[in-house]
Amino acid sequence: MPEPVLEFTDVVAGYGALTILNGFSAEIAAGRVTTLIGANGAGKSTVFKTLFGLAEMRAGEIRLDGEPVGGLAPRALLARGVAYVPQGRNLFPTLSVEENLELGGVTLAAAVRRARMARVLERFPRLAERRAQQASTLSGGEQKTLEIGRALLGEPRVLLVDEPSIGLSPKLAREVFATLRGLADAGGVTVLMVEQNVKSGLAASHRAIALEGGRAVLEAPADAILAHPRIRSVFLGGHVAQTVSGRAAGGA
Amino acid sequence: MADLVQLLVSGCATGAVYALAAMGFVLLWQTSGTINFAQGEFVMLPAFAMLAGLALGLPLPLAFLASLVVAALVLGAAFKRVVVDPLVRAGVLPLVVATLGLSLAAKHAVRVGFSAEAQPFPQIFPEGVWNVLGVRVSAADVGTLLVAGALLAALHLFITRTLFGRSMQACAQNPDAARVLGIDVAGMILATFVINALLAACAALLVTPVWFARFDMGEAIGLKAFFAAIIGGFNQMRGALLGGILLGVLENLAAAYLSAQYKDGVALALFVLVILFRPEGLLGRAEERKV
Repeated sequence: MPEPVLEFTDVVAGYGALTILNGFSAEIAAGRVTTLIGANGAGKSTVFKTLFGLAEMRAGEIRLDGEPVGGLAPRALLARGVAYVPQGRNLFPTLSVEENLELGGVTLAAAVRRARMARVLERFPRLAERRAQQASTLSGGEQKTLEIGRALLGEPRVLLVDEPSIGLSPKLAREVFATLRGLADAGGVTVLMVEQNVKSGLAASHRAIALEGGRAVLEAPADAILAHPRIRSVFLGGHVAQTVSGRAAGGA
Repeated sequence: MADLVQLLVSGCATGAVYALAAMGFVLLWQTSGTINFAQGEFVMLPAFAMLAGLALGLPLPLAFLASLVVAALVLGAAFKRVVVDPLVRAGVLPLVVATLGLSLAAKHAVRVGFSAEAQPFPQIFPEGVWNVLGVRVSAADVGTLLVAGALLAALHLFITRTLFGRSMQACAQNPDAARVLGIDVAGMILATFVINALLAACAALLVTPVWFARFDMGEAIGLKAFFAAIIGGFNQMRGALLGGILLGVLENLAAAYLSAQYKDGVALALFVLVILFRPEGLLGRAEERKV
C-alpha cells in the first residue's frame, strides 16, 4: 500500500450533544480512490465535516503528510491542498458556470486563477460550452461536474467528495465516478469519497473503509469487498452484521 | 402631458431614494437573515451627524464624508456586532423586536438630546427649474435622480462585476458551500452591513434638504423602504429598485390626480395587493429557506 497522505487517529467528533465519530482511525493511501461505506448514521460524512470544521472535533488527531491539520480553517486546508465537495447542491444558482468556477479560486492570485479556470474548462468541454449559463440551468450531472471542477481549481492533492452520485441517473453517476478515478490514476490526486451507491462507487475505487457506529471496522481493497459474497451482502444490503464487524475489528 | 412628465421625474427621484434604502434592506436580509426595522433611523442618524459636523464648522462635503465614516462604524460594524450577532441565531423575530426597539430609542434620543423641531439643511442642488422641451423639471429632482441612479448602478456593478461582489452573492445563496471554498463568510456579511449603512447615509444626504432633519424623518423612509422591498421581491436587488421607483411615482401621481392625502396610502395599498396576490413580490422568487 502506498504511503498514507491523510491519517485519522482516534477521532471523536459530533454536533452539540451528539457524538458521531467515536474513535475513528484510518489511513488514506496517496493517489488512490478510497470510498467510505456504511449504514446511515455510521459517520461517513462526519469524517469530512470534522476535517473541514463543520463538525466539532473533541479528541484525536488528523494528520496530512504527518502534520496535524485538525481544527484548521477551510482556507488553510485549501492552501495545503485539500478540497471538499459536500453532499447536495453546492452551486450558487444565479451565478454563471464560469463565475461559480472562479469562486473555487478566491484564495488564489488572479493570474493563477484564470490559468486554472482555462484548464478546468478544457478538461470538461460540456462546462466550457455552457460557461455563460446560470448554474441552475445545468442538468444534475453537469452541476456535480461543475462542483468537482470548481474544487479542482485549488489543484488539490486530496479531494473529499460526499455522495457524488446522489440524484443522478446511473449513466451520469458512472461518468462522475470515472472522472474521479481519472483524477487519481492520471493526476495522482488522492480521492476520498462517501457513496451510498456502494456497488458502482466501489467499482471506481481502489480501496474501501467500512464504518460502523463512528469507527472504522474494515479496510480492504474495493474489488475484494465487491467479490466477497458475505461482505457484499452485508454492505450492499445496507446494514452491518455483527459477525463481519467483529471479525474485521479482531483482524485489524 | 408636460405635467405628467414632471410628476414622473420627481416621482422617480423620490423612488430612487426609497430604492437606496430598500436595497440595503434586501442586502441585509439576503446575507444574514436580518430584517432591520430601524432602517429609517439609519437614514435619520447620518442626517443629524451631518448637522453636527456643520455645527462644528465643517463644510457640507466634509460633514458628509465624516457621516459616512461614522455610519460605517456605528450603523454598520457596531450594529452587527452588538445587536445582530448575539440575536441572529435565535431566528428572525427577536431581531425584528430588537430593531424596532432600536428605532424607538434612536428617534427619542435625538428628540430629547437634540431637538423635536425640524432642522433646516443646506441644499445640495441648485434651486432652479429647467425647461426641457416644454417640460419644467426642477434641478433638485434631476440631481437626486442622477446621484441615486449612479449609486444604484455602482452598487449593481460592484455586486455583479467584481469577485468581491460575487463572493457576497455566494454567501447569500449558499453560505456553507462558500465557506468550504475558503470564502470569508463572516467578512462578507460585515461588508453588507457596512454597505447598507453607507447607502443609508447617501439617502440622508439626498432627502434631508427636501424633508428637513427631524427626529421622526426615518419613519416614512423606513416604512417605504420596507414596502418597496416587499413589493419588488424581498430576495431580489432588482425588486428593491422596481419597488422603490414604483412607489415614488405612484405616490406622486396619487397626490396630483387624487388628493395629497392619499399619497401615503398608496404604498400601503400596493403592499396589501402584492401580499394578497403575489406574496413573493413582483420580481421575487418563492423562497425555500433552510432551517
